[in-house]
Amino acid sequence: MKTKIDIVILVDVISALSDGTLLDGNLAMMDNGHLPSTDQGTPELCTVCQPGQTIQWTIHAVDLQTPVEIRRITFLDTRSDVEDSGDAAVESPPGDRLSLNVWSGVVPPWAIPGAVYKYRLELQMYEGKNSVMTIDSCSLRCA
Amino acid sequence: MTQQLAIIVLIDVAAALKARTLKDNTYLFDNMKLQGSENEGTGDLVTAINGSYWFDGSQAEEQVMNWLPYALGAIPPTVPRSFYSDRTRDSDQEALAALTKIAATPGTNIVAELDRIKQRLGTRASVKSVHRAGHVRPGHKILDLRGEIVPSDSRDDIPELSNAAPVITGITGEAVDKQIIYPAQYGSPDLVTDGWYWSASVDTSRPGIYVYTMEIHLREPVWKHGGWLWEPVRMTFTSKIKVTSLPKRNGFTQADVGLLPLSCPGTP
Amino acid sequence: MEPKDTQDHEPPRQQPISIRAVIDVVGALATGSLSGNLYLLDTNRANGSTGIGTESLRTRVRKGDQVLWTALPLECEAFASIEDIVVDKEFCMVESRTYPGTDVSYWIGTVKRDTEIATYYIKFKLGTRMEAMTTASPAFLVGAAT
Repeated sequence: MKTKIDIVILVDVISALSDGTLLDGNLAMMDNGHLPSTDQGTPELCTVCQPGQTIQWTIHAVDLQTPVEIRRITFLDTRSDVEDSGDAAVESPPGDRLSLNVWSGVVPPWAIPGAVYKYRLELQMYEGKNSVMTIDSCSLRCA
Repeated sequence: MTQQLAIIVLIDVAAALKARTLKDNTYLFDNMKLQGSENEGTGDLVTAINGSYWFDGSQAEEQVMNWLPYALGAIPPTVPRSFYSDRTRDSDQEALAALTKIAATPGTNIVAELDRIKQRLGTRASVKSVHRAGHVRPGHKILDLRGEIVPSDSRDDIPELSNAAPVITGITGEAVDKQIIYPAQYGSPDLVTDGWYWSASVDTSRPGIYVYTMEIHLREPVWKHGGWLWEPVRMTFTSKIKVTSLPKRNGFTQADVGLLPLSCPGTP
Repeated sequence: MEPKDTQDHEPPRQQPISIRAVIDVVGALATGSLSGNLYLLDTNRANGSTGIGTESLRTRVRKGDQVLWTALPLECEAFASIEDIVVDKEFCMVESRTYPGTDVSYWIGTVKRDTEIATYYIKFKLGTRMEAMTTASPAFLVGAAT
């Protein structure tokens, strides 16, 4: 079993800020898991993983010089698609220190085989009223 | 963070050549204002370089600086790279077509027509070759700020022209001597910077403010040996970087790596 | 500029005054405003322009001067262009032109009369955003009377 899966997020920041959405080709996600993940290259990536594996998310701007950071990753409750309040991520300090965060974690032993764990990805591009964008179409699936 | 730093060096070339100094004629910008850079749009820019380190103290990310020199009082660098050679070639084609027309039309006042063509022909200016100057542009005609050929090929003063872009030929000074930054010139397919640019990686393990010097060549049109020449004029300009470094931490726990917060079966 | 020759004389200035707008496209799109994301510069500091590098540039002009505006995005792969310059036509009639053979535009105008001060606003097209963004505060063309 591979011990680590990398999920890479690529964002066209100028286009996302211009259009006001991460959809329409402005965001692509892909992983290097050895099990068959689906929807590679899209915001609907479903990464197949196993308990004990470490998953790490990294993010890059397509043009390399525009700022984009992961603000938060929140797993949605499998039963009712609301935020898992008991397990919400600890709030990070705001602003440019987001770049200090390393988004990695181990798939817990209680992950149910076959279950799909959707998560919400919040991204921050620069600052201001249009700077935070979210998608919640991505997920992990326990093998 | 993989965001690369871009520093724009915008120089009022005409004013700098007249005053023989870059002081008060140079305006610096970078893309790090949010991250703490100060004095954007002035000659006193202090570029913020925010590094990070792992728990064992090793540098976590590579911060990369890139410098882009441009001229104020020039055609903007957003025109296609082939613009200057295209305009030069178009001008020559027009002259050839006009010559053909004279030959084909009997009774024309040849001398007057030739004179008219010569007036519109414009001026080719050569660039004195300087080692490590990077992007030289030999044989292009002088254009004005509207992108039109400047109609002059005599030693009379050129009435107006688009100033040639400044060229950075070296990066030196305290930041380099202390091995905080490691600059080098790179070739690039990036069409905006004419194929050459200066770039530097940064050692962020020693926080502080460091000074660096840019060696810059401006180009001045000079009448020599029966033609116009872009003569290089060497000047320097200093700027500063402010290096900081903070520890990386896990995004989920704000501490060390842990289990992903997936819901546990049986919890309400 | 006036190139050097052996006599080193200064012919009359015929060069248009260049005004360049440097725009932080990401900043403007993210905040929804040009405030804090725009720097205006011109080539006429020697004749009295002030506020160079700020949003409130005061360009010194005389009757008969040509003024030329261009845009430069801070992020070299971003798109930024001037959509309109809103200025009193009686003072300065501006029009948009294109560099021949390209789709890069610039704005040019001639100062029609001497005046104390004239304000103008600039509208920019940024990134792929459909709607243009207008400067929050004006810039100025300043005449000899000031």
